[in-house]
Amino acid sequence: MLQFVIQGRGGQGAQTAGEILANVFFREEKYVQAYATYGGARRGTPVSSFIRVDEEPIRLRCDIENPDVIVCFDPSLLNEVLLKGATDNTWVLINSAKLPEYFAGLGKFRIVTLDAMSIAQTNRLGRMVNTTLVGAVAGLLDKPALDMLKKVVAEMSPAKKEENVKSCIEGYSLARERRLSNGGSE
Amino acid sequence: MNERSSRILVNGNHAVAYGVKLAQAQVVPVYPITPQTPIVEKISEFQAAGEMVVELMTAESEHSAMSACITASLTGVRVFTATASQGLMLMHEMLHYASGARAPIVMFNVNRTIGSPWGFWPDQTDSLAQRDTGWIQYYCENGQESLDTVLQAYRVAEKVLLPAMVMHEAFYVSHALEGVEVPDQEVVDQYLPVFDPPHRLDPDIGESWGNTVGQEMFYRHRRDLGLAMESAIEVAEEADAEWRKLTGRSYGIVEQYRCEGAELVIATMGSMAGTARETVDNLRDAGLPVGLLKVKLFRPFPLAAVRRVLNGVPKVMVLDRNFAPGTGGFLHQELKAALYGLEQGPVVHGYLAGVGGTNVSPTVMADWVREAMATQPAAGPVWKG
Repeated sequence: MLQFVIQGRGGQGAQTAGEILANVFFREEKYVQAYATYGGARRGTPVSSFIRVDEEPIRLRCDIENPDVIVCFDPSLLNEVLLKGATDNTWVLINSAKLPEYFAGLGKFRIVTLDAMSIAQTNRLGRMVNTTLVGAVAGLLDKPALDMLKKVVAEMSPAKKEENVKSCIEGYSLARERRLSNGGSE
Repeated sequence: MNERSSRILVNGNHAVAYGVKLAQAQVVPVYPITPQTPIVEKISEFQAAGEMVVELMTAESEHSAMSACITASLTGVRVFTATASQGLMLMHEMLHYASGARAPIVMFNVNRTIGSPWGFWPDQTDSLAQRDTGWIQYYCENGQESLDTVLQAYRVAEKVLLPAMVMHEAFYVSHALEGVEVPDQEVVDQYLPVFDPPHRLDPDIGESWGNTVGQEMFYRHRRDLGLAMESAIEVAEEADAEWRKLTGRSYGIVEQYRCEGAELVIATMGSMAGTARETVDNLRDAGLPVGLLKVKLFRPFPLAAVRRVLNGVPKVMVLDRNFAPGTGGFLHQELKAALYGLEQGPVVHGYLAGVGGTNVSPTVMADWVREAMATQPAAGPVWKG
């Protein structure tokens, strides 16, 4: 089973990011389960999105305690609660212009940083970093397939479809480069 | 995969709405409340798209919504509503009235904590506190089961002429996106006959409902209601078996999972059953003989089925995501009562687990199993987190 936690702030599209990934894996005929915290969510407050992906039906109905991937939309949200289940195998993808070394003090994780904000802004998407970051997830994991991801991003973007797809591809390419330069497999 | 269905990615609440659409409910009185609202929003979308012919009524409160459900149902149309938590509390008076009027309404309740304090979390206390209102009650663990159970509930409710409420929990089920098989309309039409009650309010017929009655008549009415409720066990089993024939899916009124030779059986309802299945597999792999009893139908309580499954099992660990102050977990109470007098019945641990929506992982559940296996149960409930 592959487990993701996506942490953002209300208005950044963390929940949609989870839904995009769930849709792509679903179309790849995987079993998926995706949900997000709700109720208290307002613009600016923390929002968590959780996704499970498996070859078998998913029976668990509880929080994700040992994620394979943590995507953090905002470095100010990197706290102990978010990182407590992370291990040295966990990818921690941070939306930041800083180098991964800057975050090394957080723990022994596979930390990758990506300036998703600047990619989003270059593509006239303002603060909406979610499509860039889902692209980056696919680049890091080498799944889901980029073609299907592009298709779903286009379908699920309420506006600026081309810009969102372009951001997604840029996020994918940069993350893929970082995985390969970290000794990751092709 | 079934040829007469399509597989879509939807959250648990939207899965419910697809079930209601397939049942072709004709009147849907509603009042919005988190986390139920996506159900009626989706029904509203179906209506707007012309995919569902329905009278969608917005009431000024849940009490009024349920009142409208009762009167609509008594005219002989298929009725649906959905609510949660405080909304269900406000309906309480009319819940009794609905069963007394023998109105086979199907209502979906998304289990959510009841204030105060305010919260949006999964907790079954809201619906379990309505256990004595004369409604059939089903508890589901995922969106697929919720869709299927809405259809089964109509079949049962309309046969025994009692209202039915179907539950899944907030958040882990209501807002979780999953793949769900949506059967074709023709499959459901084969399964669910047109609602044609023996009596109905119709000026052309000239019948009424709601007159004052004497003691004898009240007595007979309550007894008949009780008999109808008892008969719902067999009708529910039959409804589930028929659904299996058409779709390949069935759930039982209770489900036993890997109970053969079990020294301890975990008993629970709703979404925690999924996590418990995972826990049972993990513990079996580690050599511990553990099983699961999922109680799906809670009203009428499946007394005989529960006694059959647990006869000869040394120990039961009940996990209740609900709490009645002064007695404890609802399933714990009911199971102990159901097992009384069974010669080879188990001893019962009653754990309050996940109350208020706290997280229950398979790891912590496995720890509780080991602890329960090594200790004698307390007479009352134990808080576990």
